[in-house]
Amino acid sequence: MDQSASSPASIGLDAVSKSYDGRVRAVDAVSLDVKPGEFFSLLGPSGCGKTTTLRMIAGFETVDTGRIRVGDRDVTDVPVHKRDMGMVFQSYALFPHRTVAENVAFGLRMRKVPKAEIEERVRAALALVALTGFEDRRPGQLSGGQQQRVALARAIVIRPPVLLCDEPLGALDRKLRQQMQFELKQLQKELGVTLVFVTHDQEEALAMSDRIAVMNAGRIEQIGTPTEIYDRPRTRFVADFIGEINLIERPGGKALAVRPEKIVLGAPGAVLDGTIDSASFLGGQTLYRVALSDGRQMLVKETNAGERPVRSVGDKVGLAWAAADGVELEA
Amino acid sequence: MADLSAPALSVPAAPVLSPRRPAVSAIAWAVGPALLLFVVFFILPFGVMALLSVLTGNPAIQSGVTFTAQHYERFFEDSLYFEALVATLRIGAITTVASLVIGYPLAHLMARTHSRIGHALLLMAVIAPMLTGIVVRTFAWMTLLQDRGVINTTLLSWGLISSPLKLMYNEFGTIVALVHIYVPFMVLTLTGVIGRIDERLEQAARSLGANRTRTFLEVTLPLSLPGILAGSLLVFALSISAYVTPFLMGGTDVLTLPMLIYQQVGASFNLGFAGALGVVLLAVSLIVIIAYNNVLGRFAGGEKMA
Repeated sequence: MDQSASSPASIGLDAVSKSYDGRVRAVDAVSLDVKPGEFFSLLGPSGCGKTTTLRMIAGFETVDTGRIRVGDRDVTDVPVHKRDMGMVFQSYALFPHRTVAENVAFGLRMRKVPKAEIEERVRAALALVALTGFEDRRPGQLSGGQQQRVALARAIVIRPPVLLCDEPLGALDRKLRQQMQFELKQLQKELGVTLVFVTHDQEEALAMSDRIAVMNAGRIEQIGTPTEIYDRPRTRFVADFIGEINLIERPGGKALAVRPEKIVLGAPGAVLDGTIDSASFLGGQTLYRVALSDGRQMLVKETNAGERPVRSVGDKVGLAWAAADGVELEA
Repeated sequence: MADLSAPALSVPAAPVLSPRRPAVSAIAWAVGPALLLFVVFFILPFGVMALLSVLTGNPAIQSGVTFTAQHYERFFEDSLYFEALVATLRIGAITTVASLVIGYPLAHLMARTHSRIGHALLLMAVIAPMLTGIVVRTFAWMTLLQDRGVINTTLLSWGLISSPLKLMYNEFGTIVALVHIYVPFMVLTLTGVIGRIDERLEQAARSLGANRTRTFLEVTLPLSLPGILAGSLLVFALSISAYVTPFLMGGTDVLTLPMLIYQQVGASFNLGFAGALGVVLLAVSLIVIIAYNNVLGRFAGGEKMA
């Protein structure tokens, strides 16, 4: 299938900033480098600047200061329609007055691709997203998942070196979202396209990305692989935003972070001792809230496998973890 | 027959509501006054007018009134009347197109202005002229466009022209004033429709390689067709039925059907012929509107319009 990107490009942001109406900086000196063919996520809560960053890469927003580069080309001042990027919107943004095939063909028509080739490439792109036979439908006649696939087909059919996705799965229900996560990841691998993915869903980011940039208040808190981000968070924000974590305060504003599932429960007399406050059975795991003698509370997750003692509320337990599983956070 | 329905009514699970009363939603009753107005002030007078147009006289005050086609024959026999019809439609069409050309960019700007103050100012600018009467606005145009009006005097004093331009007492002046009066209707209709077009559709088109012009032609314009249609029909209908403005601005050069009708009713007391003119105007404008609707509908990609 000759649907692959011309050749995946790297993306570089060099101290890019943006503010609206002189207010707080929506994006504050963001620098990052996305490698060719990488699945790169911008993760953070709403208002953290991730969407603005993506829209600046796409060219919908101008840059106050800093430079944006795609491959060897500085695109900072290049208008949207000359940036040659695929874009998938959260709302899909399909043209309601055009059929599925016309939607997908749009970018090729703008590029003055010969008619026969357009037909062939539209057919291939729709086959790739499993929508063969839907050519003559209108977007309004499709389900959310199908519209999402059309939006994807429309973005990749132009073989962009870079594909930008703004919370593309946000509007789908949980089951469909997980399926689409898998499919999108597969597709990205197959096409070898560089993909920048904006999401506020940490599970989604962890599951799909090669690397993640965690953003907060317009700044990048940490960039790393999903494992690095999860296992070695650098700041309190990252530790707190991704998954569940126990913070043990240290002098000088520092803190030690330990994931609930890294803690081993045993007999009292360990690193920390406490009493089980509550136990929630989660299926694969059981989540315990353990009250320490000084009043603090710790979360502990124990995998429901193998032999282990039955624990109930009120039991005295000791908490221990491998030294490598405790992460020192920056002040 | 009664015993057939009896068992059904005796079923205990039957709905509590009386089966005899059909369900009418509350909103349907609220349409009542509008319906009454429509019947009393449109259907009825139009019926009377249509009836008079095929009678030899007024049966309420005359005897021996019979059916006749004489009024319609008169319309088609004298080219003056046909020319008036053509002039009416021409003025209506040019006014509509000009209102669209002037109104669309304004409506687009209004729909896409995110600042509240900016939006309020634009809205005021559009609506404010509507708050002054048609006669006042028409007179204002007369002071501008007359032979000794502001424009001609200025151009003469600058030596750009040697004799006054004929800016009014013709179709040009009539159309200028009509466009000014009816542009707000176009703008307000279009603003609503353009405002509902998702801006991300335009962004999607741009990201797919369409420049601003292409994006407008491929996305924004087709999606605003329902507004263009509604606004055009409104302006067309209003301008072909305008009386005051063509009368004041057109002078002796312009003769439209509404002016003819007024003459027939007010000066000649020929209600039958006035009725025939009214029926012709309505029929022709309906044909124009249906044709316009069909043509635009085809451009909109086969989607059902209005």
